[in-house]
Amino acid sequence: MHEPDPTPAGNDDAALLARYAQGDPAAARLLAARLTPRIYAHACRVLGDSAEAEDVVQEAMVRLWRIAPDWRIGEAKVSTWLYRVVANLCTDRLRKGASVGLDDVAEPADGAPSAAEGMQQRARQDALSRALATLPERQRQAVVLRHIEGLANPEIAAILDVGVEAVESLTARGKRGLARALAGEREALGFEDYG
Amino acid sequence: MDDRALEALFEAERAAPPVVPEALMQRVFADALTVQPSADSRGWRGWLRLLGGAPGLGGLVAAGCVGVWLGLAPPTALPDLAGLVLGVESTEVYDGQTDGLTGFGWDLEES
Repeated sequence: MHEPDPTPAGNDDAALLARYAQGDPAAARLLAARLTPRIYAHACRVLGDSAEAEDVVQEAMVRLWRIAPDWRIGEAKVSTWLYRVVANLCTDRLRKGASVGLDDVAEPADGAPSAAEGMQQRARQDALSRALATLPERQRQAVVLRHIEGLANPEIAAILDVGVEAVESLTARGKRGLARALAGEREALGFEDYG
Repeated sequence: MDDRALEALFEAERAAPPVVPEALMQRVFADALTVQPSADSRGWRGWLRLLGGAPGLGGLVAAGCVGVWLGLAPPTALPDLAGLVLGVESTEVYDGQTDGLTGFGWDLEES
């Protein structure tokens, strides 16, 4: 388990998990609705394959349901624990050779932009996905957690089971790798005016 | 590509995250219900289930009552433990001679 979790959201997750363990089916639905989108997005971004991501998410959530009766509130943050399970399952799949196929990436939510804006946004997402796939697995996870999902470095350190300095190093190298991979696509992605 | 361009790419990805398929949500929820400990397995209901439910508890109560009964009013062949513990001799031995009753009704036939 990780660092104590004083945040209200974390306590809510832990309270819902406790209610689930006491036999409350509504708690299961609430907790699944809160956590599944986050870990599904992470798995999609890291694996680049929605079918693989679905398998990872289902397996991770089963592990959460199984540990619920033994969960001790205040010892760890539920979402951090779950991210860690997902990160490890993604690592296992990537090391077994799961390929990143952009055609299989889940369709993003439609925020109803104009057609041109939508095409550019889609092009940028595809380019980012391709560039992420070129990164070593740990750098990819660190960049996704830090720069897309917005987690703090100490939480990422707990998820990846490394020190905070290692997280800083992984994200910095990951961003440099992304910049190299995307260097030839600046104009195509609408970044002519960027430095 | 500089940090501003990278941040624009991250922002594009944040703005349109992958949507969880409804079928996946249903599978996750079905797993939750399958794995979930039932409310019956906790608290006093859990203890009751450990004892075998209502039939098990009924048998336990009946056996307890018989034990108390035997302890307070033992058959003649058994020692009177309650009497020994309390220091009171409570067992009466029926010798069959103090009155005219028997189990077979000979006295009625002969009279």
